[in-house]
Amino acid sequence: MIEVKNLHKKFGKNHVLKGINLTVKTGEVVTIIGSSGSGKSTFLRTLNFLDSATSGEIKLDDIYINASKAKKSDILNIRRNTAMVFQGYNLFKRRTAVENVMEALIFVQKKDKEEAKTRAIELLTKVGLKDRINYYPHQLSGGQQQRVAIARALAINPKVILFDEPTSALDPEMVSEVLEVIKSIAHSGITLIIVTHELNFAREVSDRIIFFDDGVILEEGNPKEFFLSPKEERTKQFLKRFNQEFTYEI
Amino acid sequence: MQDIFKPSFIIESLPEILRFLPATLEIALISSIIGILLGFIIAIIRIKRVPILNKLTILYVSFMRGTPLLVQLFLAYYGTPLVIEYINYKFGTKYSINDIPAMVFVFLAFSLNESAYTSETIRGAILSVDKKEVEAGQSIGMTSATIMRRIILPQALVVAIPNLGNTLISLVKSTSLAFTVSVMDVMGSAKVIAGRNMRFFEVYISVAIIYWVICLLIEIVIKKIEIRLNIQDREVIDDRG
Repeated sequence: MIEVKNLHKKFGKNHVLKGINLTVKTGEVVTIIGSSGSGKSTFLRTLNFLDSATSGEIKLDDIYINASKAKKSDILNIRRNTAMVFQGYNLFKRRTAVENVMEALIFVQKKDKEEAKTRAIELLTKVGLKDRINYYPHQLSGGQQQRVAIARALAINPKVILFDEPTSALDPEMVSEVLEVIKSIAHSGITLIIVTHELNFAREVSDRIIFFDDGVILEEGNPKEFFLSPKEERTKQFLKRFNQEFTYEI
Repeated sequence: MQDIFKPSFIIESLPEILRFLPATLEIALISSIIGILLGFIIAIIRIKRVPILNKLTILYVSFMRGTPLLVQLFLAYYGTPLVIEYINYKFGTKYSINDIPAMVFVFLAFSLNESAYTSETIRGAILSVDKKEVEAGQSIGMTSATIMRRIILPQALVVAIPNLGNTLISLVKSTSLAFTVSVMDVMGSAKVIAGRNMRFFEVYISVAIIYWVICLLIEIVIKKIEIRLNIQDREVIDDRG
């Protein structure tokens, strides 16, 4: 279980997160939506300490961190239990697909090379890349690269995977292959927190939708009630675009 | 009349000069290894902006790059005895300057000089590393040491190699200054031979050829390493694993 209490983040004078309180149950799939600059990506990054929160508390099962006085060992501990999938894939460009995954297994999970390779191939097979294991990132399509990144995230056996707009950099026809993979790991015991603009996908896969606006959680709820009857005026405004698309679909 | 120019002497003097090639290579290799290690430390100090040390290294690099190597060599050669004298006076020890071979001053001056140049090369190379990969490493819980070793250094190396190669080549040529503090290297031996038979021009042609060939060889090796390190040109070895 993840518990976040009163989390604040400032970049200089820019107050990006203004007191986030959120509890996510183990195995839950939570999607965060909101317009650009609302702080949703920053929130994910503070969970993984890629950006350190200015103040607040983060609890992941038995790991407790007070953000303003986080120790190096605590940060490492939290990072080893959470993995991040980035918008830009962030693969190790000088390593092949299988080496990308092995890197996590050997240097974080401390597995020996043989075992790591077997496991890496297993994970790449799981994301549908069995025949691409020896390709370098630049030889793979965006969708394939992102699937390698998901396999790498799975490699550390995380309690939580954080998805930071995983399909925003992809061509439309590659979006679905990545979303399929995410769907396949949802509800498998790993907690997923997904920041995305794919509202259809969010509605389909999530247990809960969270709407970020100007650094606070403005509204949350299960997908059905959130999309059909949003309470806040700001949420309605944001969803209007989506609902239009939705109507046209019929 | 004696021959004005005797080409055969260029070949004849080669073997004798080449006997001192190991000394030249030793100066170049040891100085560049120490220089790279020291340069790496300086680069890290500057990137991490370590308080006080950062300012000192800026001053150090500026001095090393802003004064001639020959002057630095003399400073090491004439300065070290003073330091030893002072230590003896202060602590009552009896170190003798005569126990220190001249080669040590050469190593000292060349390594320090080299470190100033390589620190800038390495600093630039490390700063050029893709931040995204570092974040990827952090996100899966790699320690900073692992990130340095597995992500930053391999990439920085690719960027730094051509520059480090150039610095090594100019270092090899600079070793010809070592004879000024009575070290017998290629240049030193040439001076002796030439002084013996007065064939200065022929002997120095010989010397030029030797330096040229060494530098050519280094260039070739560096090119080979560069090609090896370039992932973009590599083909998929096997797509079925």
